[in-house]
Amino acid sequence: MSQLSNPNPFMGASGTKPTCMQMLQFMLDNEVTAEQKEYFKNHMDGCMPCFKTYQLDMTIKELLKSKCCGGDAPIELVDQIRSQIAQKIS
Amino acid sequence: MIEESPRQHYTDKEKEEIFNKEFLPHINSMYNFGYRLTLDRDDAKDLVQDTYLKAYRFIESFQKGTNAKAWLFRILKNSFINDYRKKSKEPNKVDYQEVETYYNSEEVDRQITPDLRVEALKDMIGDEISNALNALDVDFRTVIILCDLEGFKYEEMAKILDIPIGTVRSRLHRARQLLKEKLSDYAKSMGYKNADV
Repeated sequence: MSQLSNPNPFMGASGTKPTCMQMLQFMLDNEVTAEQKEYFKNHMDGCMPCFKTYQLDMTIKELLKSKCCGGDAPIELVDQIRSQIAQKIS
Repeated sequence: MIEESPRQHYTDKEKEEIFNKEFLPHINSMYNFGYRLTLDRDDAKDLVQDTYLKAYRFIESFQKGTNAKAWLFRILKNSFINDYRKKSKEPNKVDYQEVETYYNSEEVDRQITPDLRVEALKDMIGDEISNALNALDVDFRTVIILCDLEGFKYEEMAKILDIPIGTVRSRLHRARQLLKEKLSDYAKSMGYKNADV
């Protein structure tokens, strides 16, 4: 069985072979073990569509993090919360 | 709540400590989540304030030292649905049945990889990314925020959103596709060729 000679760490419990799209998503969603990550990196060397999509999707993910996380909570917010709690418990 | 742990008993001093050391450090993430859900800074403030008041009121259902961030995010999400979303009628409900079928079908691998270029993305230095995220339907927006901005795992997202892990996964998959379509439109309007999805 090829399963023994080339074990895919993404293999589901049911023994079904994962598709490129499924592996790609686990990578993007950061739901992979070190072993799976390694496997996918090797897989990308021989799979251009995976490589291109991974580059693109990771760029989007990084951009989201850098562009959409900004803006600290207004400084007065913590004080307002504290005074509301103080009112409630007194 | 989130961990289904038995009711705790805390002294006032312990409550204060949990609140300061475990709840308040997440205020910026909470505010960003509130803002991305409501798309309004005042509403975000109200939502965060309500969330923290609720968290304090129910502090004894929180087990000290467990995942405070996920617990707070869950309260905020519930407050948003119960108190806020009702007020602003949102008629468009996503058909998740369709999403599941789509994800599980053989079709996924035959999808055309969008010819959106990394270089085009790098040129989006303005509000394009933020606008594209905000333009997504709120349920899709939410999973992107939880996964890509906050780094929650499937299991945490499932608990925060009260949905099965399979649904988290298919929703994320669809959300990423939709986001790419929007970004591809921006790229086209910026004059990039071959940006068809």
